[in-house]
Amino acid sequence: MKWAAVKPYLQVAKNTWNNALTYRINVLLWRFRMVLQLLATYFLWLAVIPANKTVLGYSQSAMLTYVLASAVISAIVFSSLVGAVGEEINKGDLSNYLLKPVNYFAYWLARDAGDKAMNICFAVVEITLIILILRPPVFLQANLLYVFLSIVSVVMAILLYFLMNFLLGLIGFWSSEVWAPRFIFFTIYAFFSGGIFPLDILPKPFFIFFQILPFPYLLYFPIKLYLGQLSILEIILGFLASGIWLFLLFKFLQWGWQKGLKQYTAQGR
Amino acid sequence: MKKYLKVWWLLTIKGTQIALSSRMGAILFLIGKLLRLSFFVSLIVLIAARTNVIAGYTLWQMIFFYLTFNVIDTLAQLLLREVYEFHYNITSGYFDNYIVKPVAPLFRALFGGSDILDVPIFLLLIIATIFAAFHIGHISFLGIILYFLLLINSMLIALAFHIGVLCLGILTTEIDNAIMFYRDLTQMGRMPIDIYKEPLRGLITFIVPVGIMMTFPVKALLGLLSWWIIILSLAIGIVLFLLSLWFWKYALRFYTSASS
Repeated sequence: MKWAAVKPYLQVAKNTWNNALTYRINVLLWRFRMVLQLLATYFLWLAVIPANKTVLGYSQSAMLTYVLASAVISAIVFSSLVGAVGEEINKGDLSNYLLKPVNYFAYWLARDAGDKAMNICFAVVEITLIILILRPPVFLQANLLYVFLSIVSVVMAILLYFLMNFLLGLIGFWSSEVWAPRFIFFTIYAFFSGGIFPLDILPKPFFIFFQILPFPYLLYFPIKLYLGQLSILEIILGFLASGIWLFLLFKFLQWGWQKGLKQYTAQGR
Repeated sequence: MKKYLKVWWLLTIKGTQIALSSRMGAILFLIGKLLRLSFFVSLIVLIAARTNVIAGYTLWQMIFFYLTFNVIDTLAQLLLREVYEFHYNITSGYFDNYIVKPVAPLFRALFGGSDILDVPIFLLLIIATIFAAFHIGHISFLGIILYFLLLINSMLIALAFHIGVLCLGILTTEIDNAIMFYRDLTQMGRMPIDIYKEPLRGLITFIVPVGIMMTFPVKALLGLLSWWIIILSLAIGIVLFLLSLWFWKYALRFYTSASS
């Protein structure tokens, strides 16, 4: 890959970062919202699990580490601007990109990279402050293999979320109603990615069923990998499921994009 | 009063027509809201089934807390949906149309059309809340009166918060997610505020009165609030509302009609 081909996308990422810095209060308020959500979940579990007891298979320290890790990984995986794709298609703004020598997918990946960089910086500061103020019992993984596997799974989660989000945007080719399906998607992934609670506290049949879906591989799987709480078989199956979902969603996206472009009339331009 | 009711009715009819113009979208939004409600209730049941009590409350009490939170949250959304459009109205200069008409701009910015999609959810919540109340047991008549009194107080605080969001929208056009910030703040009252530790608990009770708004009606029903706390809560609600009205008058002076 030539540098000249990559350079425009780096500039797109940089522009996204600069754009966020232009609206500083907005970004600060957004991050403050994330802190509030984290605190609500943190204190719920602190109240549910007494210091010296195990509830739903989790000790207090294991659960609080899970909640804090979930906040960090959420900032990496879920910070995304791809939600605007559907609206761009609806308004006909997609034409601007189709006429230019840019890859629309790479453009959005670059925008997401800029947005994620900003959110990661904030999340690191926020979590550090929370740890310093609340002094929760945090578990630091010493096994570098688990850390490495966790990082790999986070990268896969980023791509999974990108593909799912993009696919929802493609609805814009066929319908002006792009927000309602996204609202349902948000509701489902908020619960079944493991952001509010670890999925293994669910009754076994539900837990097994949800593992078939792509959502646990967005948060639950990377966090459990980091905590070193998965067996070798569970790790292999987790990566396998993640890989299969990535492949299927990618193929579905390619198919949907081609079909959608044939429908596209640049309505609204 | 009659004129304002008529304006509200006309705007609500208009809003309803827009909301129902995409029936599929309306159905999907309803499904999403029902899913969110049922997921959270399931989570409470799951936790309470294993722990018996959370922060000293039983399963049905926790469910009642959560449902009451939803009743307040949904009613505020149902009535004050127009606030979500305010940022656009300010940045586009469309707010000019509110000012030049013989209807108070604050009324128009707050009650400019209720959201019909929240009505079925609201009715469902009322039924579910009554059902949960029957399972709590030992509820006095006085407790019920205080519950409703503090619910009205909660709506007054919600109104004050929404006016505050409108004011922020005028004072700084940079913020476009202030209303969502309010939503996240109030989400902390989804569970009884007793689960939070000091100083956070004190902060979200009296400084940012989410606790008074979301938790106190249920605590009054359960007979867990003293008289002076109830009077203080009502006083905070009234003062906050009056302050928000003053803030609105102050903020309105800074509207520049940019982009119009």
